[in-house]
Amino acid sequence: MSQDNGRSGLTRRQLIQGMGAASTLPLLGGVAPFAIGNQSAGRVVVIGGGFGGATAAKYLKRANPAIDVTMVEPAEVFYTCPFSNLFLGGLRELNAIAHGYDELRGRYGVKVIHAMAEDVDPDGHRVSLSNSDTLDYDRLVLSPGIDIRWDALEGYDEAAAEKAPHSWKAGPQTELLKRQLEGMDDGGTFVMVAPENPFRCPPGPYERASMVAHYFTQHKPNAKVLILDAKDNFSKQGLFTAGWEQLYGDRIEWVGLSNDGRVTRVDANNLEVETEFGTRHQADVLNVIPPQKAGWIADRAGVTDDSGWVPVKAETFESQRVNDIHVVGDATVATPMPKSGFCANAQAKVVAAAIAATLEGSTAPDPYWANTCYSLIGPEYGISVAGVYRVQDGVIASVEGAGGLSPTDAPEATRALEAEYAVGWYNAICQDTWGTEA
Amino acid sequence: MPTPLPAITRRRLIISIGLLVISPLALADGPWLRLEAASNIVGDTQPNTAGLHLDLPHVSEDGSAVPLGLSFDGTLGEDDYLTDIHLFATGNPNPEIAVFHLTPMGGLPEISTRVRLNETQEVIAVARSHRGETFATSREVRITVSGCLMRGNDDQPAALSYPRVSAPSHLAPGEAGEIRTLINHPMETGLREGPNGNTLPRHIIEHFRVTLAGETAFEAELHRSISANPYLRFHLTPTQGGELVIEWQDDSGESAIHRTAIDVG
Repeated sequence: MSQDNGRSGLTRRQLIQGMGAASTLPLLGGVAPFAIGNQSAGRVVVIGGGFGGATAAKYLKRANPAIDVTMVEPAEVFYTCPFSNLFLGGLRELNAIAHGYDELRGRYGVKVIHAMAEDVDPDGHRVSLSNSDTLDYDRLVLSPGIDIRWDALEGYDEAAAEKAPHSWKAGPQTELLKRQLEGMDDGGTFVMVAPENPFRCPPGPYERASMVAHYFTQHKPNAKVLILDAKDNFSKQGLFTAGWEQLYGDRIEWVGLSNDGRVTRVDANNLEVETEFGTRHQADVLNVIPPQKAGWIADRAGVTDDSGWVPVKAETFESQRVNDIHVVGDATVATPMPKSGFCANAQAKVVAAAIAATLEGSTAPDPYWANTCYSLIGPEYGISVAGVYRVQDGVIASVEGAGGLSPTDAPEATRALEAEYAVGWYNAICQDTWGTEA
Repeated sequence: MPTPLPAITRRRLIISIGLLVISPLALADGPWLRLEAASNIVGDTQPNTAGLHLDLPHVSEDGSAVPLGLSFDGTLGEDDYLTDIHLFATGNPNPEIAVFHLTPMGGLPEISTRVRLNETQEVIAVARSHRGETFATSREVRITVSGCLMRGNDDQPAALSYPRVSAPSHLAPGEAGEIRTLINHPMETGLREGPNGNTLPRHIIEHFRVTLAGETAFEAELHRSISANPYLRFHLTPTQGGELVIEWQDDSGESAIHRTAIDVG
């Protein structure tokens, strides 16, 4: 397993650590160019401890330990959305997708504050926290992830999400959905409502449908999966469709936008949804993946646009609207990069390099990014799509000829290997981000 | 890539000069002046750049179906109303997207559809009123093909199958009712290669007509830049009810008809 999946001779860990520009930064050891005595080389506050935030904090310290890095994250344990579908499928325990911040504190000297960032004053360069503290910054990194647009889908509010979970932020919502699936009668229907673009993790809904179908084959052989989609095309569609047919026959039904798949009303009490043209579907377990926007602190900082997402400068992921605030991960408009944990990790390294360079008065190298989205259709059936990205004419662009999809007519052995690579990828990126050992 | 500038006609040159003299800050150089089909609609008038709105995403990951919204909150004289709204995709092989013909029953000029955009480009909307007022607006859309997106199989139901309509059954007088329609159709552009390497022949819905109690209420001419399985959302403010007949007609002469009733009172 020293080879990656045939795309290059790098090991996965090398590949992941090489993503973003940070690997091209010299490691400065303990010597910071501008640190005199105990004086800081600059104050950076990072809001959010997910793939983007934790990586930014770590790689800022790796670039220059004299930078004063404070990370604000309410949760002491972070549950990743990647692999949360495997928990639903019964392939993985919840604690196997849980990560903490010991390495950031102990090994890298990041100050980790478990509080909620409640406001940002961009002029005063100050963040206020739920514990009444304030933090001053020279540079702010926001990695706020997504928030649900509670006003966007009739009948779907926070109370409805307790009955028809979105489970699009991993943790209690994922456990709730798992309990509902376990409690469902055999012969029932799991209905998933999938959103239009853009949203967190483009292949995620379809991997979830696969994992639920897998769980049904083990425990509820007569249960069905119905996906009602607000799109006509989705990520890795041909690969998913072929895999579903092969592993699950007609257990999974997908209804796209042009066949009246767009849900416009949710009745969570009765587990019923209604589509744009009035078709009603009754669920036994209802999973609504609703429209999304950047995490709300981005609004407080004034970096979002009228789409609800955050436009950024391609080279540095600095906000196009507010100076000295960088934003990474799902909250940003970074297309063609997808909203994935891998992208957040790569973007965070670019931001760390850009901030470290600015604070010492130099220029960061030209960035590049890469992403792979692995999805499991079955325990031994993995597929992937990979991309490499650079800045072209001021915007992020895919590098032609790099990356690509799993072949459509691959033998079972290839699918099995990709399922193994998916696990290897997960272990490597979690080690890189939180220091979690597999 | 910007669209190459067409040769400037004398008339347009004169218009531009006129605007420069009268008001150097006015709307002189909208992209509609650089696209002949659009400037022909505007004619000799100075289009008002306030009032007509295009709602499009700044960035779209799927150029095959970009949601597009049109709305109007401009000022019109008493008894005046918008008669037609023209949509253009400046960077498509054929810039015409659609023309919407409105009537006094149009009430609330708010239209949605889904369009094909070949590449990053400017989309233009130009509208005319019954009394000859013109309005124009434009919006740039960046098209990326996301690394996480891939087209599925082209397993399409038959053309003109499953006409779907959502319309109110009852409206108060003066109330604007929202009508949504969706129909299966490949909207084959005539520019695409099939699996055997031959160009697939053009096959699109060209006409969309809505009548209420026998009177034309809303019409659309559709072109190749309308997405497969055309979706149209619009509004009617009828003064009296009756049978609502919706008809889609394609370029092979086939059509589909959907009938329902709206009661007004």
